Amino acid sequence: MSPRLRQAPLVLVATLAALFLAPAVVLPYYRIVLAEILVWGLFGMAFDLLFGYTGMLSFGQALFFGAGAYGAAYAVFKLGAGLWGALAVAVVVATVFAVAVGFFAVRVSGHYFLVLTITFSVVIFLVLESGHWRWITGGYSGRPFPAPPITLGPLSLPLTNSLAGYYFVVAAVAGAYALCYLLLASGLGWVFLSIRENEPRARLLGYNVEGYKLLAFSISGFFAGLSGALYALTSQYTNLSFFHWTISTNAVVWTVIGGTGTLLGPFLGSGLFIAGGDFLSAQVPNFPIAIGVLLLVFVLFAPEGLLGLLRRLARRPTAPV
Amino acid sequence: MTPEAQFILFGLNGLVWGLIIALIALGLSLVFGLIEIINIAHGDLFMLGAVLAWYMIQWTGNFWVALAAAPLAVGLLGMLIERGVLRPIEHKPIITILATFGLSLIFQQSVLATFGGAPQRIEEPIGGLIPLVGTFYPVYRVFVAGCALVALAGLWLLLYKTRYGMWMRAVRQDREMAVALGIASDQVYMLTFGLGAALAALGGVLAAPVTSLEFQMGLDVLPTAFIVVIIGGLGSLQGTLVAAVLLGVLEGLANVFVTPTTARIFSLLFMAVVLLVRPQGIFGKRP
Repeated sequence: MSPRLRQAPLVLVATLAALFLAPAVVLPYYRIVLAEILVWGLFGMAFDLLFGYTGMLSFGQALFFGAGAYGAAYAVFKLGAGLWGALAVAVVVATVFAVAVGFFAVRVSGHYFLVLTITFSVVIFLVLESGHWRWITGGYSGRPFPAPPITLGPLSLPLTNSLAGYYFVVAAVAGAYALCYLLLASGLGWVFLSIRENEPRARLLGYNVEGYKLLAFSISGFFAGLSGALYALTSQYTNLSFFHWTISTNAVVWTVIGGTGTLLGPFLGSGLFIAGGDFLSAQVPNFPIAIGVLLLVFVLFAPEGLLGLLRRLARRPTAPV
Repeated sequence: MTPEAQFILFGLNGLVWGLIIALIALGLSLVFGLIEIINIAHGDLFMLGAVLAWYMIQWTGNFWVALAAAPLAVGLLGMLIERGVLRPIEHKPIITILATFGLSLIFQQSVLATFGGAPQRIEEPIGGLIPLVGTFYPVYRVFVAGCALVALAGLWLLLYKTRYGMWMRAVRQDREMAVALGIASDQVYMLTFGLGAALAALGGVLAAPVTSLEFQMGLDVLPTAFIVVIIGGLGSLQGTLVAAVLLGVLEGLANVFVTPTTARIFSLLFMAVVLLVRPQGIFGKRP
């Protein structure tokens, strides 16, 4: 198993336990904030898989978040799908999007890859905004839609503003994390790391580098789509701004602040920023300035991210990879 | 209006916009070629130029003061950014991207807090129309094109005919050798970043009377500038200029046939195709 993947199981168990017990301690409002942190953390994790493990700096992740959100909304709105159907449609749509964009994008690397992913992002945003796709998107402001209930056998529980909805998000995100962890631990993680570390060498060893990059891009799109679907379903609304490339930058910020190549770091990053934003917006009228300042402080004084900082403070030697 | 006149008008509009984009993209290209920093805040420096110009016109009532002072102020700000924020982290490309993203947030939100969220306009400082193929063209746009060309010529003179330009090109080519020969590379970096910021701000001031000003106006410009820099070939300044003008004119001409958004989509797709079949750009050498 990759050294980076060896994460303290104790921390994971403690986090899960805390998340399960949280509703007993905190006000219902903070339950919503926690769920939001988890959903955006999942979006960051999808980016970390791509950038932290495979070394592909993409600014196009918003496309797959948007595709997942609209896929879920469309399935509920037009196809009358239930929760599971909506999730399935969402991840299929997002993954198809990712395969299509990735097919072109993996042909270039480095700065070219970054610019190409931004270009695709802007093009698809403009195409959707131009109004030809109103029958899917419902125009710029998107459309509110009723969230389907959580159906588990004979059970049917409300998804929004409820304890069941919160536990559903916790379970979905924990499941996605476990799936991503297992995928990376399966040996695929090693191939991704080898591409990140030395692309020509991976190629010389006989790996189909473009193929593996496309795989990483598609898996990342799958998880980004899942986060988009969860966001749309729990907040019961979609907006074209989900597709905007500035959404992609959130994932970059949270991942680097939390710790790159750690899978858990992005959750820490999204937690810090969303909880911090939530706190600051009540105190300071222009709280995004504070976020900008916080970001600067971090990159100047703790560029290895929160997890790296914790490791350094704990004086534990860092993994070689 | 005859179809030919329409063609010429839209083509000219595209050319003027292309030259403004060229100023912004050259700033980005200068910085990238030298420090390999992807400056996410570059679009916001463009925005700051336009917004500062608006304030200066409110205070002095004079566009020409703003045209001179706003780029200077933003240039100084650029030098401060390089010295204070980017220099300590210049060896970590990803970290610098994040730092500039933080700066971008700070700039946008500071403008939102002081300037407000509502779009504002600046009057064209030169009124009047020039008769042209049976119709009329605003004098101010011709002035913008002329001003941009003068700035580009000035940049070329600076880079190729002055000692400072020679230092800049030397540091760009081989930093260690340049330092060994006694060039103060730190100062060169700082001045280059300031120059890049000033160019973006100049683009902002010139564009201000033909567009509307708001705190997020840099967001749309930034991807365009990135694309132009890459298409022109990383580090090739001539390439950046050609790609910017090409993009502007293509988009302008496409406006004759389709809506502006569709024109935008087509020009971006064209750029994406160029990127895929010739990733080193039109003028770049194969890496």
